[in-house]
Amino acid sequence: MSTSKQPLPDRFFQALLRLLPFDFRSEFGADMEETFRAQRSNVERERGLAALLKMWWATIADIVRMAPREHASVLAQDTRYALRMMRKNIGYTVSAIVILGLGIGVNTSIFSVVNSVLLKPLPYAQGDRLVSLRQPEPKLGIDDIGFSPMELGDYRAQNHSLSGIVEYHNMTFTLIGGAEAYRVRTGVVSYNYFDLFGVKPVLGRTFVADEERPGAPAVLMLSYEFWKQAEHGDPNIIGKVYQMNDRPHTVIGVLPPIPQYPNENDVYMTSTSCPFRSSLGSLTRRRGFAMNLFGRLKPGATPDMCRADLRAISARLMKDYPAFYRPGSGYFADASVLRDDLTHGARPMLLALLGAAAFVLLIACANVANLILARMARREQELVIRTAVGAGAGRLLRQLLTESLILALLAAMVGIAFASGSLKLLIQFAGQLTPRAREIAIDGWVLGFATLCATGTTVLFGSMAALCSRRDVGSGLKDGARAGVDRGRQVVRSVLIATQVAFSFILLVGAGLMIRSFLEMQRVNPGFVSQRVLAVGINLNFTRFHDRSMRASVANRILEKISPQPGVLSAAVSSSFPMDPDDAGLAGARTTFQIEGRSQEETERTRPVASFRTATPDYFKTLGIPLLSGRTFTEFDRFNDFDKPDTELVAVISGSLAQTRFRGQDPIGKRVSFDRGDSWARIIGIVGDVKEFGPNRDAPETFYLAQGQNPLLGSLLLRTAGDPKSLLTQVRQAVREIDPQIAITESETLEQARADAVASPRTITRLFGVYAGLALVIAVIGIGSMLALWVRQRTREIGIRMALGASPGAILGGVIRQGMLLVVFGLAAGAAGAVAVTRLIKTLLFQVEPTDTYTFALVPALLLAAALLACYVPAKRAARIDPQAALRAE
Amino acid sequence: MAHTQAPLTPALFQVLVALADGDKHGYAILKEVEEQSAGEVQLSTGTLYGIIKRLLADGLIVEVRRRPAVENDDQRRRYYRLTAEGREVAVAEAVRMEKALERARTKHLLKVPKPV
Repeated sequence: MSTSKQPLPDRFFQALLRLLPFDFRSEFGADMEETFRAQRSNVERERGLAALLKMWWATIADIVRMAPREHASVLAQDTRYALRMMRKNIGYTVSAIVILGLGIGVNTSIFSVVNSVLLKPLPYAQGDRLVSLRQPEPKLGIDDIGFSPMELGDYRAQNHSLSGIVEYHNMTFTLIGGAEAYRVRTGVVSYNYFDLFGVKPVLGRTFVADEERPGAPAVLMLSYEFWKQAEHGDPNIIGKVYQMNDRPHTVIGVLPPIPQYPNENDVYMTSTSCPFRSSLGSLTRRRGFAMNLFGRLKPGATPDMCRADLRAISARLMKDYPAFYRPGSGYFADASVLRDDLTHGARPMLLALLGAAAFVLLIACANVANLILARMARREQELVIRTAVGAGAGRLLRQLLTESLILALLAAMVGIAFASGSLKLLIQFAGQLTPRAREIAIDGWVLGFATLCATGTTVLFGSMAALCSRRDVGSGLKDGARAGVDRGRQVVRSVLIATQVAFSFILLVGAGLMIRSFLEMQRVNPGFVSQRVLAVGINLNFTRFHDRSMRASVANRILEKISPQPGVLSAAVSSSFPMDPDDAGLAGARTTFQIEGRSQEETERTRPVASFRTATPDYFKTLGIPLLSGRTFTEFDRFNDFDKPDTELVAVISGSLAQTRFRGQDPIGKRVSFDRGDSWARIIGIVGDVKEFGPNRDAPETFYLAQGQNPLLGSLLLRTAGDPKSLLTQVRQAVREIDPQIAITESETLEQARADAVASPRTITRLFGVYAGLALVIAVIGIGSMLALWVRQRTREIGIRMALGASPGAILGGVIRQGMLLVVFGLAAGAAGAVAVTRLIKTLLFQVEPTDTYTFALVPALLLAAALLACYVPAKRAARIDPQAALRAE
Repeated sequence: MAHTQAPLTPALFQVLVALADGDKHGYAILKEVEEQSAGEVQLSTGTLYGIIKRLLADGLIVEVRRRPAVENDDQRRRYYRLTAEGREVAVAEAVRMEKALERARTKHLLKVPKPV
């Protein structure tokens, strides 16, 4: 059919025929052309132009209409054929689907987290236009000093880039009127806080301006979780009146389940309902009240414009109030996009995990490509025959692609099942990193991602394999050409094996580093003995216990009642405890101080800041914190009358505070002030440092003050003889007997708190471990099955060699050498890759270098051992080949 | 893909009828169908070969290897023949149509009843 000499209409018709499937064309194409030519010339001759045009129209329309149907019928036929082939090779099919499915599942699950946390817009109206404001003092190492009500007024009045600024701070109050007294985490906000975020309540309404007027009746919004848990999702909750801070508080609305930022809260109130926020002192002091501010960018304003705007305002404040904003502090005002704030903690870990997951998928792909290649070798005869009976190369490619696609869809289903199975675990994991964890779900994007991964990889590798076989299909009938073809394919397969080993190596090194880092973290001495210590949160309704002597006496009464109980070795009351999960984000209570005898100027310049905690005498004994020098508190370190202090104010300091602030002098006997010299506390002892915020963070410089002189009740700590948890009922009972309005909040053992402090490194280490394990297994299976195939294809050759006198041992060694050579190549490539890649997870490592010698020595050993095992099985089979049977078989 | 139970489409029936009196190639079928139906049924090439493919698959027609000794026989042309099964189906369809016609007549839908 030389097209060049044909008239244009015929050539056009030929082109039209290309819309039809290959099969159809090769069957009827020539005949159709002939028929069409006859029909066309007849119509041209006998009927005229109108009929001709009509004929053309009908011809074109019919072919366009029938093309999809014909393609579908070919697809159906191919699918049936593919399914039959897959059933026939069920071993291959299942292993390919499972391996790919796992690779895709691992990726899909991590992608579902990345998608919800990093990619999706915030679930607030125009969430990307929200910013959070900060006032850092970088020269003092302070990220944010927070905003006072006065500053809020200044920024509201002077900014040009924000369409609204709302405030937020977080308090803990006691809520009475539910099933029991709850200690509720309370968000104190502007009336339009939720409007700015664009949050619509699921029940009731949000606050209105009137409710933030001084003296307005107090109202509450409940968080979705609090409403569900404490009120069992009561649909008639609106209008319920609770007692809080000795005032009635009426519920006006319930929030939807949204990520709460900066903290999770149980209830929200307006700023005027907070007794601290609305006190005269807070309203008239320029400094000393730390609120968060959030704003919405005006239309057209960029985050950079907003930053410049805020800087200008802070510069004015510095000029107007030099006493409050010192130039030495580096003070300025700044804004960051809320979305970054919410997710910056999670980003490095998630990206590292996504990277690791991608490696698993690559290994899975290399493995499946090998499976496909191996299978192609076995199907060669079939393909050759089909070519011989007239199936074109395109036709075969289409058939193979259909098979790949079916494989892909099944693998995607396995992957999605895997991802949805692990969803709960992932939400838990991501919850340690970002408040957006609750948004994680398998949505259309995730399904699309899984399908894309599956089809992309299988079609790529499937057609690669198909192309490999296509090239040699012609030579397949000629036996002589086969050896060369086999060699070429062998090279591709060898490269794929080495690639798998290399990627597994990198993943194993990553996991190894994570494990090493985690072990290092576990080895860190936290500075206290966490075993068998129970921490019980206690919360006094402060309107009732506003008097300091009342609070001090409650602490005493609790200890008097608890200490003699059986099983209690020692007990203490303190304001907080180390690694308290509720406290972790806040870096504890901080205070500035000055040392007696140091000049005002020096204090201003260095502006010393330290953590502080109040504690009863047995605190150090209960937690096992060693006394380094001096003494700790006694029962005499207390005020009998808080208005007229009758004993000297005393303080115990941590070792690091002694070292950095007293520079070789003995701090004992020195005095410090926390209130600019109004009162002075004498240092009486030095105790060991405590890793307050987790093993991977430095121990803060800490002051301990006596509960008897500074009654701040936050937790009750018990060192127990047996299981700490078993004492909880006793403790609840005892506290309720003292006063039913004392709320007992969460309780946990310090062991738990310590474990929780490293929860996210633990999870990421586990995930890395699982991925690396998966990679190792897939790679080892790959090596084993490739060698098995190699042995099978060379049965005859091995038989000849044995017949010529090669010993089984030599055959065994030969096969193992064949496999291990690839492994060694893979190891070398992997080592180079690992050195390059592990640098990326440096920030996730604790006291371990990315090129850690142990890890880099141990991982190859592990891989070699596993690979040796994988090679041994087929090698053993090769060594057992019966030369006579092998020679006969050909 | 057995469509033998279902009523045939008019075009399909016409193709079977066209082949009833001898083997024909594609264009001959096309022309005959047009003439038989007095121009009412006009098949395009695509439709014709869609039908041919289906009839071949269902075993109602076959391609004939032995080519008729026609003076202007083209090597590219393929000839089709009605199989016994194809004939059966065509007859069954004709009978079905006749019965339908009969019913229409008894209901006086057709004004002039014509004796066969």
